[in-house]
Amino acid sequence: MRTADLKEFEEELETCFGTSCGFCERGCPVYQAMKVRTLSMKGRNRTMLGLLKGKFEITPAVVQAAFECTLCGNCDRWCSLKNTEHTRAFREYLLKHGVEPMKEHSSLLASLKNYGNPWFQPRSARGKWLRGLDIPKAAPGKQEVLFFAGCTSAVMKPLVPSLAASAKLLKRAGVDFAVMGQDEPCCGSTLLRVGQADAFEKLEKENFERFKALGVKRIVTACPGCYTTLKESAEKLGSDIEVMHITQEIADLVKSGDLEVKRSSEKMTYHDPCHLGRLGGIFDEPREIVKAVSSFVEMPNHGYESRCCGAGAGLQSAFPKLSRELAAKKVDEAKGTGATTLVTCCPFCETQLRTVPGIKVVDLMELLLESTEVNCKKDASR
Amino acid sequence: MKYIPELRSALGDEKVLTDPAELYVYGADWSPRTSDEIRPPDVVVQPKTTRDVQRTIKVAYSHDVPVTAGGGLTGMLGGAVSLFGGIYIDTTTMNSIIEVDPKNQTVRVQAGATLQEVNDAVNPYGLWLPHQPESKWVSTVGAAIACDNDSTFGVRYGKILNCLLSAQLVTGTGEVLELGHRKAHFTSSGYKLKDLLAGSEGTLGVVTEATLKLEPIPETRLVEMLVFHRMGSAVDYLNRLLKAGICIEAAHINCKRRLNFYTHAYKTKHGKDPDIPAWAEALLAIAFAGDTKIISVQRDYALELAAEFEAETVKEREIIDSWWASKYTLEFEPFKQKWPDSQTTKKFGAADPGVPVGRLEEFYHKFVEVAEKHRLEIIGMNAYLEHPNSIGFSLSCAVFVDYRDADEVKRFRMFHDELSKLAIQFDGTMSTFMSDSHQKAPYMELEHGRSLKYMRDIKRLFDPKGIMNPGKKFPREEG
Repeated sequence: MRTADLKEFEEELETCFGTSCGFCERGCPVYQAMKVRTLSMKGRNRTMLGLLKGKFEITPAVVQAAFECTLCGNCDRWCSLKNTEHTRAFREYLLKHGVEPMKEHSSLLASLKNYGNPWFQPRSARGKWLRGLDIPKAAPGKQEVLFFAGCTSAVMKPLVPSLAASAKLLKRAGVDFAVMGQDEPCCGSTLLRVGQADAFEKLEKENFERFKALGVKRIVTACPGCYTTLKESAEKLGSDIEVMHITQEIADLVKSGDLEVKRSSEKMTYHDPCHLGRLGGIFDEPREIVKAVSSFVEMPNHGYESRCCGAGAGLQSAFPKLSRELAAKKVDEAKGTGATTLVTCCPFCETQLRTVPGIKVVDLMELLLESTEVNCKKDASR
Repeated sequence: MKYIPELRSALGDEKVLTDPAELYVYGADWSPRTSDEIRPPDVVVQPKTTRDVQRTIKVAYSHDVPVTAGGGLTGMLGGAVSLFGGIYIDTTTMNSIIEVDPKNQTVRVQAGATLQEVNDAVNPYGLWLPHQPESKWVSTVGAAIACDNDSTFGVRYGKILNCLLSAQLVTGTGEVLELGHRKAHFTSSGYKLKDLLAGSEGTLGVVTEATLKLEPIPETRLVEMLVFHRMGSAVDYLNRLLKAGICIEAAHINCKRRLNFYTHAYKTKHGKDPDIPAWAEALLAIAFAGDTKIISVQRDYALELAAEFEAETVKEREIIDSWWASKYTLEFEPFKQKWPDSQTTKKFGAADPGVPVGRLEEFYHKFVEVAEKHRLEIIGMNAYLEHPNSIGFSLSCAVFVDYRDADEVKRFRMFHDELSKLAIQFDGTMSTFMSDSHQKAPYMELEHGRSLKYMRDIKRLFDPKGIMNPGKKFPREEG
């Protein structure tokens, strides 16, 4: 269903028109910031319906309605319709009906084509994070578990420590794993979210053929975007490869006490990345870790109600002003709890939230590793 | 449309929308209509201040252009749909909380604030605005006033008018008036022009700000449900509770069929409708709120009195919780929600008459008869007590309407009209929470008799050119 044509959703669009409850508006970060009806899910559904019924042509407002959305899924939380899927199909529909990709998205796509990542970094950059970590490279039949770094964490220098922390913790958990290094492909999330369904379907197929050829049974990733994309691809392609998020691997270690951590009295709060929480269903594991290492405090909008940081689905590149506004709102909400540290576990969210001053933003795995290392140092000094 | 450049220069480009897709989404509310009946306005303005609204109406006045104002567009009878095009004022961009005054228990807000936004702002002070329709997340203060919609807690606190102390109105000439009595709860001075605004549907002007009376948040709330052999017994029972001196916070009498529309959470969990005794014809959901010690006594005594009416309490807590989730807390399972789930092929449509307290059961049978005559699938009837400490109820006589079928939409409108007229024959009224809109305009004389002339005169006083939401309440008057 994920790459279904917009026409296939026409009945759902009619249901939304018939219902018109507008419950989707309250939690929609974009609508609440912009207050433009076509940017709420109810308005967007109506826009799609009007377009399919030929009530108007493709106009600038139609294009804006399709692309000015983070696909965060908050509208889905308060609905029974597949709204996020409608929006994704809407983007694809427009691109197939003569709308040029947004120039900012075109450059992401060009980078993906030429470098295998959306950030204009050479393929060789993708393996750099592995320096000094002594992790074997995946080879056919040599490993069952693949640690999937993801484009953003692997090639963005400030994110490398969090990736390294994930790998170190995975080792401590006793997981025997390998990595693909600079041969690691993009999961295709960017293609999917900006409406390039055909290119995405080709890529996901190639990816899973490669994973199969390597004999991979389980993929572990620290990137929530990669997590939901790979997990859904595995299900859609009928692959028996299991896809896990790093927190699922690590939380048990903390809970059981196998990983000894030092608890700080610092007040910390946790931001649910949309792809991990609302779209991935993982809420408890990251919280268990933050609770173990800090004095945890919850934000008013958390779990299923968590508000998007504003980075996703091409919003950061194509609508930077709005994207920054959403990040600032999120940081304000975090600061309002009295927390001095905002913990999250998504490279996009981290990069985005760090652009707003006023609170320390840390990666969950880095935080956990630091808490265990503090403990180790203390033990060594005795 | 030569007035649009004037609007742009008066308000700024960013507050004036003319893209056909942007206009289209404002062309329908929650009322049953086919998607071919969407009526987009010619231009949408998104004001930030009363001054912006005033500038807009002055442009409209000088060009004789219709003006329709709207909030969340969840009206059930097309009240905020621009029948004659023109300018739509989207008030949701005016949603500031201007002043919370905890000492005097009031809040001053811009009219585009949703009822939930008001409550989010006053909750930290231990206060709440008890006007609570199911659409509270979307329904705005201005729209609640203009439509005079329903509230779950009406039997204790009344509806929006009982909370409204003062309102700012921009009239059909662009004049800005403050109607009301500042922060005093009531007045014996002058004519109560503020009261004209409740249910005025934007025909007198646009409400831009409001001062609302707040209430302390009760410590505890207990919700119970009872089943009765007859609907009339439920009414008698409620009368008995009031006579006993019991303070009820919410009371809703559902016919047996209607309950199933309110138990979405139960059905999501159990995959079936809840079991209620086969003999039960009416279900009464009732809430008590206050200090635990007091309301426990009241609740226990109320349940004790039920025996006199051969009523039984509903023991399965999930049925009650599920009804309450639908009615008030809106705590639905993620990715599940009553409205879209229950309306995948047909939508909810209702008539909203009011009848004398002693004729509820008789009217219920008429409702079923009329719905069947028009071949409409019955959802059921709900009588909400909406008047403080009295039995006065709003009736929601609901049916499913296939809005893809123009003939069924037409039959729904006939059903609505017939029940409206019937209510007057019953010594009641044709509207109790949806207002008149254009749908009831033909029956205004039947409802109001010779006083209708005075209503028209009042309308002319506020809106001499007849540009404010034309076609609603009265047929459009030219010039």
